[in-house]
Amino acid sequence: MTHMRVLLAAGVLGVVVAATAALAAAGPLDGAGSKVLNCAACHGAAGQSRSDAMPILAGAHPVYFKKAIQDYASGKRLSPEMEPYAKQVLVLGLDEIAAYFAAQRREPSRVKLDAAAVERGRTASTQCAPCHGPAGKGDADKGVPDIGGQPPGYLRNQLLLFKAERRSPGDEAVTKMKALLKAVPDDTLGDLAAYYSSLR
Amino acid sequence: MTITRRRFLQGSAAALAAAGCATAKTAGDLQPQSGRRVVVVGGGWGGATAAKYVRLADPSIEVILLEPNDRFVSCPFSNLVLSGVRPLSSLTFGYGDLRRNHGVTIVRAEATAIEPETKRVRVGEGYYTYDRLVVAPGVEFQWEQVEGLPQAKDTVLHAWKAGPQTTALAKQIQSMSDGGVFVISIPPVAYRCPPGPYERICQVAWYLKNTRPKSKVIVLDANENIVSKTALFRGVWQASYPNIDYRPRSRVVKVDPSTRTLTTEFGDAVTYDVVNLIPPQRAGTIAVQAGLVGDDKRWCQVDHVTYESVKHRNVHVVGDSTIGIPAPKSGNVANAMGKIAAVNIVNLLNGRPPSPLPPGNTCYSWINDREAIAVVNAYRIDNGKVVQIEQKLTPGPSAIYGQQAVGWATSIWSDILG
Ligand SMILES: Cc1cc2nc3c(=O)[nH]c(=O)nc-3n(C[C@H](O)[C@H](O)[C@H](O)COP(=O)(O)OP(=O)(O)OC[C@H]3O[C@@H](n4cnc5c(N)ncnc54)[C@H](O)[C@@H]3O)c2cc1C
Ligand code: HEC
Ligand code: HEC
Repeated sequence: MTHMRVLLAAGVLGVVVAATAALAAAGPLDGAGSKVLNCAACHGAAGQSRSDAMPILAGAHPVYFKKAIQDYASGKRLSPEMEPYAKQVLVLGLDEIAAYFAAQRREPSRVKLDAAAVERGRTASTQCAPCHGPAGKGDADKGVPDIGGQPPGYLRNQLLLFKAERRSPGDEAVTKMKALLKAVPDDTLGDLAAYYSSLR
Repeated sequence: MTITRRRFLQGSAAALAAAGCATAKTAGDLQPQSGRRVVVVGGGWGGATAAKYVRLADPSIEVILLEPNDRFVSCPFSNLVLSGVRPLSSLTFGYGDLRRNHGVTIVRAEATAIEPETKRVRVGEGYYTYDRLVVAPGVEFQWEQVEGLPQAKDTVLHAWKAGPQTTALAKQIQSMSDGGVFVISIPPVAYRCPPGPYERICQVAWYLKNTRPKSKVIVLDANENIVSKTALFRGVWQASYPNIDYRPRSRVVKVDPSTRTLTTEFGDAVTYDVVNLIPPQRAGTIAVQAGLVGDDKRWCQVDHVTYESVKHRNVHVVGDSTIGIPAPKSGNVANAMGKIAAVNIVNLLNGRPPSPLPPGNTCYSWINDREAIAVVNAYRIDNGKVVQIEQKLTPGPSAIYGQQAVGWATSIWSDILG
């Protein structure tokens, strides 16, 4: 009897399944969407981080994204949070996950900014523009990240880490930028962070 | 079977009697099913996440979430309430967005029984039918394991489910006199949040050091050693908290509030001014009653990919109630399980194979008002089982990890409820 009921239920279900399969097939949690679920615990839904400390992944250039994951996994870029997750990304499929985040449109950070700091940062940013571009969009092919709209706390922290040679020590991709940052006072790094965060 | 059929008949009679009546039903089929339906028992870290993600993965599936509390109170960060660093209100959230943004039906009620045979969850005299059920009731305390505790439940606080007890314990600590003794008792593993008690010790020690320099914290730990982030906590205590007296292998078996004494299994008596007794734990009562626990009578074994119970088909268990997956009983893991279970429940309901998705875990612990340490675990699925890829610890405490802890909380709270 139980058995029959199960069969019956399965039959009814079958019809519903057929009707909804097409809809469900294109769901946001299929394929790569399901492989990035763990990232949301820190980076927000679809990589749209809303906090001050965690970077936005949405809209990241794939070349840069993949280098970041590889650098974390190899321990070149030190982060106790990211090293294990980077290794998980390598298991689940780096190209697919990089493509997923690249396809998300970045919603810029809404963390409050000090307008005066933004203005000071704008002035100081001329030295960054040769690589990061006038609007902070970077260079997708050359591995220069799009830093526009990232949360200010994250940007400031990364600049301090670069300056102290604590982010990716010895990485030749960033020797030039680090040389430049050595001469920039910490307060100005905060201004630069505010400026780049304000870009849309 | 007979019982089931009788109950079924009673149910239909009640349903008929109530038919046409617009007021909320309390008996029979409380909400007759029209399409496919997932019912979720428990709106905590695992259950609320699962409810939201079933709807995200397939909005054609109806989701009913049963939760007796009208607000979600986060255990993570609740140790900061004890040190006065954060108010409990900053950890308290409503369920409204689950309904508004995702169309989850939220029923403020406790599930009273599960009937896997007929695929029903009972709420008192009534029931909800389901195609798949998610059971996420968290932990229940084994009061009877400590003599005197069942009678002293209201004054000997656990504060291990964030809420009124958290604020009450904070008040007790804040009214201690300088020189007063705070005693905390840690249960044997497995319990909710392995590093949680040690974070709490840091918070209370930090508060007392600043405000009651003559006071001390005595730790009676049932375990051999600090259970999680051992070297990190030890380092912090040595460097910053001489007011901590840590005693391993000290399982508390008795409490006597009239003499303010705890007794360990070796007969040592320890007196307290304020006590925090964290009792031994098992899966939430509903999981035990429904026969979802294993031979240990405490925890639920599940499939590592779908979180379907090994005991009952179409019933999935997520969060602290589970055992066997090599991941800690943490909010982060409960959240990950909720998402993975949801995706795979939707796969199964749509006739697709489950996806082998692994969980991840991060537990930040605050060591004072500003700095934190963390443990991070990532997993993969190997032959249908969860296997750890790597565990990583922060090299030491830092304010940056504190900021990242806030980032984590902001993101994950909105992932659960937003
Ligand atoms: C002090 C402390 C600090 C912590 N810190 C961290 C941290 O920093 N990071 C971290 O990841 N984890 C932390 N945790 C652990 C985390 O809180 C738990 O692992 C998490 O809450 C488990 O989620 P869950 O869904 O299994 O249970 P819960 O979140 O407890 O949810 C269970 C829900 O089920 C409901 N329920 C129970 N029975 C029924 C029923 N019969 N019918 C309907 N509803 C029912 C309950 O009301 C409850 O809302 C901490 C825990 C504590 C105590
Ligand atoms: C526990 C929190 C946490 C989780 C979960 C997490 N991350 Fe991160 N992530 C961080 C932190 C913190 C940083 C910044 C670390 C640093 O200082 O370099 C970061 C940085 C990154 C960066 C570099 C961003 C940039 O602009 O340079 C990438 C890429 C990234 N994470 C991807 C992921 C992916 C993909 C996942 C999911 C598989 C994930 N993260 C899960 C915390 C987390
Ligand atoms: C010579 C080219 C160059 C210059 C000049 C330069 N950068 Fe960069 N920047 C890079 C590259 C390349 C990276 C990527 C580093 C990596 O691969 O880890 C980077 C990374 C960054 C990041 C990290 C972004 C993230 O998401 O983690 C920040 C922030 C940043 N730059 C800010 C600045 C600022 C501010 C200036 C000006 C003071 C500046 N850069 C000047 C090339 C440059």
